[in-house]
Amino acid sequence: MKGKKEIIVATVLVAMVLLTLFSYLMGTGEIEFNQILLVGIVLILVALAMYIIWDKIKNVQKGLPAKDERIISINYKAGYYGFTAAIWSVVLIPTIIDIIFGYELDGGDISAIVVLISGFVFVVSYLYLYRKGK
Amino acid sequence: MKTHIKELRARYDLTQETLARKVGVRRETILFIEKGNYNPSLQLAHDIAKALQTTIDNLFIFEDQ
Repeated sequence: MKGKKEIIVATVLVAMVLLTLFSYLMGTGEIEFNQILLVGIVLILVALAMYIIWDKIKNVQKGLPAKDERIISINYKAGYYGFTAAIWSVVLIPTIIDIIFGYELDGGDISAIVVLISGFVFVVSYLYLYRKGK
Repeated sequence: MKTHIKELRARYDLTQETLARKVGVRRETILFIEKGNYNPSLQLAHDIAKALQTTIDNLFIFEDQ
């Protein structure tokens, strides 16, 4: 039952992200390259999240738990990697962009980049650990 | 860490999925334990040993590192 609740909440979240993305794109006049890039990354994250949800649904339908001790451990590890990536990206991304492009990012841009990078690292490390077994 | 889970499953005619359902984990977890890619918790090791009517000592092959 707990697993089913989590699946429903995650599905609603994915739907809300897609709806927000859709309304953002509809409200934007001309779409610039960096916006396409950001939307692309978000769509990749949504697709990976949907894969994780689908995997949980598959297990629940077979009468198996949506998560067990291995999945919980993977979640912690992936969360740790995502958090570490977030901290490093706060420091490194503005510095690197300043050095290479001579362009100073504002706070909103940095926040968006940090969220995307940590989300990306979380999902990728989750899938890697999931396939590897530990 | 190597295990005897596969042999014991075969003896009791249990699939990975049936064993997983008995001990309350996902099928993949049993698969990774069998392959030696995941070290289970002591509780899970106990549950698997119980389900296969053996002891933890007989189930896992501990190697000195």
